Amino acid sequence: MEEEEIQKAVVAYLRKKGFTNTELALHEEQNRVSFSSNSDHSVSRFENGPVRYSDGYSKLRLWVYSSLDMYKHELLRVLFPVYIHCFMDLVAGGHAHEARNFFHTFREDHESMHLRDLQKLEGILSPLHLEEIELSRSFRKNKFKIKMCEYSYDLLLQYLQKTQSFTMRGVINEHIDFEVSPGQPTSSSGDADFVTIEGRNTNLARQINQKEIHWGLLEDSVEQHLKRAVSDSEKAESANKEVNPEDNKKRPLDGGKQGIPVKMVKKDKLVSMVGKNVRSETSAVSVAPRVKPELTLPATLVEVEQAILDDLRSRVQLNSLALPSISFYTFINTCNRLNCSSISQDGSLVAGGFSDSSLKVWDISKIDQLVKTSSLQGEKESAKNENLPATEEGRKPYTLFHGHSGPVYSATFSPFGEFLLSSSSDSTIRLWSTKLNTNLVCYKGHNYPVWDVQFSPVGHYFASSSHDRTARIWSMERIQPLRIMAGHLSDVDCVQWHANCNYIATGSSDKTVRLWDVQSGECVRIFIGHRSMILSLAMSPDGCYMASGDEDGTIMMWDLSSGRCVSPLVGHSSCVWTLAFSCEGTLLASGSADCTVKLWDVTASTRASRVESKSSSPNRLRLLKALPTKSTPIYTLQFSRRNLLFAAGAL
Amino acid sequence: MSMVPKETIEVIAQSIGIANLSPDVALALAPDVEYRLREIMQEAIKCMRHSKRTILTADDVDSALSLRNIEPIYGFASGDPLRFKRAVGHKDLFYIDDRDVDFKEVIDAPLPKAPLDTAVVAHWLAIEGVQPAIPENSPVEAIVAPSENKKSDNSKEDGLHVDLKLPVKHVLSRELQLYFDKITELTVTRPESIIFKEALLSLAADSGIHPLVPYFSYFIADEVARSLNDLPILFALMRVVRSLLQNPHIHIEPYLHQLMPSIITCVVAKRLGSRIADSHWELRDFSANLAASVCRRYGHVYHNLQSRLTKTLINAFLDPSKALTQHYGAIQGLAALGPGVVRLLVLPNLEPYLQLLEPEMQLEKQKNEMKRKEAWRVYGALLCAAGKCLYDRLKLFPGLLSPPKHKVWRSNGRVATGTLNKRKPSTIHSAQQPPFKKMAVDGAIGIMQPIAMTTGSQGAEDRFPTQSSGTGMGQSSAAGQVSVEAIGGRRAPTGSAVLAQAWKEDLDAGHLLASLYQLFGEGVLSFIQPVEMSFFI
Repeated sequence: MEEEEIQKAVVAYLRKKGFTNTELALHEEQNRVSFSSNSDHSVSRFENGPVRYSDGYSKLRLWVYSSLDMYKHELLRVLFPVYIHCFMDLVAGGHAHEARNFFHTFREDHESMHLRDLQKLEGILSPLHLEEIELSRSFRKNKFKIKMCEYSYDLLLQYLQKTQSFTMRGVINEHIDFEVSPGQPTSSSGDADFVTIEGRNTNLARQINQKEIHWGLLEDSVEQHLKRAVSDSEKAESANKEVNPEDNKKRPLDGGKQGIPVKMVKKDKLVSMVGKNVRSETSAVSVAPRVKPELTLPATLVEVEQAILDDLRSRVQLNSLALPSISFYTFINTCNRLNCSSISQDGSLVAGGFSDSSLKVWDISKIDQLVKTSSLQGEKESAKNENLPATEEGRKPYTLFHGHSGPVYSATFSPFGEFLLSSSSDSTIRLWSTKLNTNLVCYKGHNYPVWDVQFSPVGHYFASSSHDRTARIWSMERIQPLRIMAGHLSDVDCVQWHANCNYIATGSSDKTVRLWDVQSGECVRIFIGHRSMILSLAMSPDGCYMASGDEDGTIMMWDLSSGRCVSPLVGHSSCVWTLAFSCEGTLLASGSADCTVKLWDVTASTRASRVESKSSSPNRLRLLKALPTKSTPIYTLQFSRRNLLFAAGAL
Repeated sequence: MSMVPKETIEVIAQSIGIANLSPDVALALAPDVEYRLREIMQEAIKCMRHSKRTILTADDVDSALSLRNIEPIYGFASGDPLRFKRAVGHKDLFYIDDRDVDFKEVIDAPLPKAPLDTAVVAHWLAIEGVQPAIPENSPVEAIVAPSENKKSDNSKEDGLHVDLKLPVKHVLSRELQLYFDKITELTVTRPESIIFKEALLSLAADSGIHPLVPYFSYFIADEVARSLNDLPILFALMRVVRSLLQNPHIHIEPYLHQLMPSIITCVVAKRLGSRIADSHWELRDFSANLAASVCRRYGHVYHNLQSRLTKTLINAFLDPSKALTQHYGAIQGLAALGPGVVRLLVLPNLEPYLQLLEPEMQLEKQKNEMKRKEAWRVYGALLCAAGKCLYDRLKLFPGLLSPPKHKVWRSNGRVATGTLNKRKPSTIHSAQQPPFKKMAVDGAIGIMQPIAMTTGSQGAEDRFPTQSSGTGMGQSSAAGQVSVEAIGGRRAPTGSAVLAQAWKEDLDAGHLLASLYQLFGEGVLSFIQPVEMSFFI
């Protein structure tokens, strides 16, 4: 009715203005539309009913499977979207039974690639459900993007015309966006995962990914201080050179004390060596312009900075030949209650978040003493202790933090270990002081369980991610969030800060990773390619790369500037719970539910990619070493500033 | 349609007091219930992932329910693992056994032990990338395997440069499989049948069985180890080996390392066959010849083949703790390797060995008849070996035997005759022996004398009378004589199984000797005699 009115109004307008030709054209158009709609009706009457979907689909499937191998893998990509939409059309049409049949008949084809999606969609039986499930909504709203070569596309069009399959044509037309590229079909399987692309309008994603980001490191960082210090020490060393020979002569005379000057000399040399390395590295990295922090950063204390400088000087250089030492902290007697763990930068404190709402912090340096004393005591008073379990030794070896009212899902130490943040299913985040052993602040803002919380590299600020599909930025001194990042289509499962504190990355159950500008709260990158929910993220120290690990055990390495996947790392067989870059960014460590820590060579691939990125050869990161534990899944990995790797897991 | 049948909905409705739920409503509710259930399980999986677990627990479902703001399920779950019970009458229906707990019982019960508190223990997972072998780390073999995997991963990843060899799948045609199955079955079940002989011929001549060689060698090695107690099978297996070795079309060298141990086992094993009557001597001779032929054929390719074989044999020979059967096998093996080996390895040890052997052969010293017979066997083998060696020397220097050799031989001969004379009256079947012996001697001497003349060697002549007078001997070497002997054997109504065996063996050896005879002329006879003689004894 409205349309008629509009038409009348338009016709009247045209007449008034005297656009007779236009009016004629309009009439013609209308006639054609009505005619075609009539013909459509007849056709749909002819092949109405749910059978046409399964018929059409099975024919299409047969055609695709019998097509030439060369084009097959490209054409195969079409099947999944068509399958899903046929199913949803059937459900929407109220043919629940047929929909179920259809779903199960062809389910096997897609199980290998889209198992999780299928599991989610399996239960849909009524049109109402379609509206409820976020996945089906996003499928309905958005188009699949499929890359194809020209010839495959032509083949498909020809097929659709020849078979007169209006249903299939409709589905494909409505829900698939073809990106036709000239030339040969792409090599098989390499890019096969393009079908999984869904979510926001892909054009938007591309648009977003073209935004500029400054991934350079912060200016005036401690590393620069080190550089300065190193140049100073070099001068000092050159001054010392005249002194050194004297030292050498003196040494035999010194006798017992000779160790000290040797060490001194060695240390000096070590420092200068490290310094040189660091410098050469930074000079290599310094292609990226240093950026100014957008946030006002807290000032670092002088003594703290001194400590960091010390650490940086004695840092071990890691590369594919020099692998790190790994200190492993095993939680025992957890009864499956340990949800998360965190290790402080220096490895002295270990926190565990439990499903009974408790948070426990162990001081490793004290544990060793305790063990010793208790073992000594055990020898002496084993008989007594049995009767008196709660003697003074009954004091717990850990600090217990009670405050949450639901399972604790994440914990993180501040960079210098004086604070601890924990997030819980009670939708709060709590700040604890490890010095005072007490709760300082409770941050309420999220509406649903908070899955992850991370301190920024400089402390003070932190980011959280939640089941409410948002990520939020907080500062320690305010109980309200500073920014809310909304845009993910499903839970935000993990969050990670960029090295320069201007960006955060979030990984979500919608299988995408996003990069957000902290200052503006805008999404600046979308990384598409994972096939299941993202569980872990890590940012390279040079700020160029990001690694993300998912539920299937795949790790993907992303180039932040281009938003492209540098290389997928396949090796883990189960969930990748944690990822960590070594301090110079040469190694990536990954910890997984398959009870292994794996070390990957980053430099090989990224350097190659810098050179060959134009040729877009698939650079694969090299797996350097797989270190299995007895049967401990790895929950957390943390490189210390001296490049010692700490790992934690629950037996 | 839905996984939840509408009956379930009706039952649930009744349980919460809705008596008259219309079927339509139940039907409409059923799919929705299924959908909600799935939805909650999806949420529960999320919670499971965030608890860093890979096993879904009841707690996860609880937290999923609370996420959805659904009234939680009240009550406490015990920390114990859930006890599932099978529902009666259903194969795949389980329920949790939830017992009613009596308060009084709980109060009266002693306090349970406090659970162990959570603790953190630290250890080195790796030091500079290497896992230390401490109990906290997974055991070394578990580490080795992944590192190999890693290697292969690496090579896969660098696939462009590394030429990766995939394991080759060995495809056997159906015909070959059938052939193999048939042959193995024949070998194990019917080693005496004619068809097996045909099979041996086929194995020796067929050009298409090369793909089966690894299977055969494995089968032989396996079967020899398994059926050491079953002489016919062992014999059959050795025949198979011989056939395989004879086959000119197959390339058996790579599998020799697998075959040789089996052959040597059949030469020097302590016991072959389970029954006393089993003619394991024959098998030893046969296998010894087989081993020697392998050495002859492949010795030039594998230089250490013969040295390893002789080492094994000489070790068996010189070890007094080994059984006489083993000594016999070793001697036969060495003898089969040729006179050179005998001269170098056996003759120097001959005298001490004979001293050792002598008491075993005498009735007074060795009461066990079996042992005594074995000793005589060994003695015969030694004699034969030495004789062959001597013949070899003779052939080299006709008429010029080195004096020291002579001496050894002479003394040997003397020992032989001496002991023989002692033994003769003592044998159980002495009653049967004289006529048979006499006949044999008659036959032998007739031929023997002219032979001795023809050889013209004084040394040989010297010895001939001694030997021929000792016993009847291997006239079997001449085809004509075989029959004579056979008749003689039959005539002699001997009850001794051993004697009969000796006869049978004689027949077999006869073939061999016949060929030798043709090759070397009559001269061989004189040095073959000791063998035959030993058999007779």
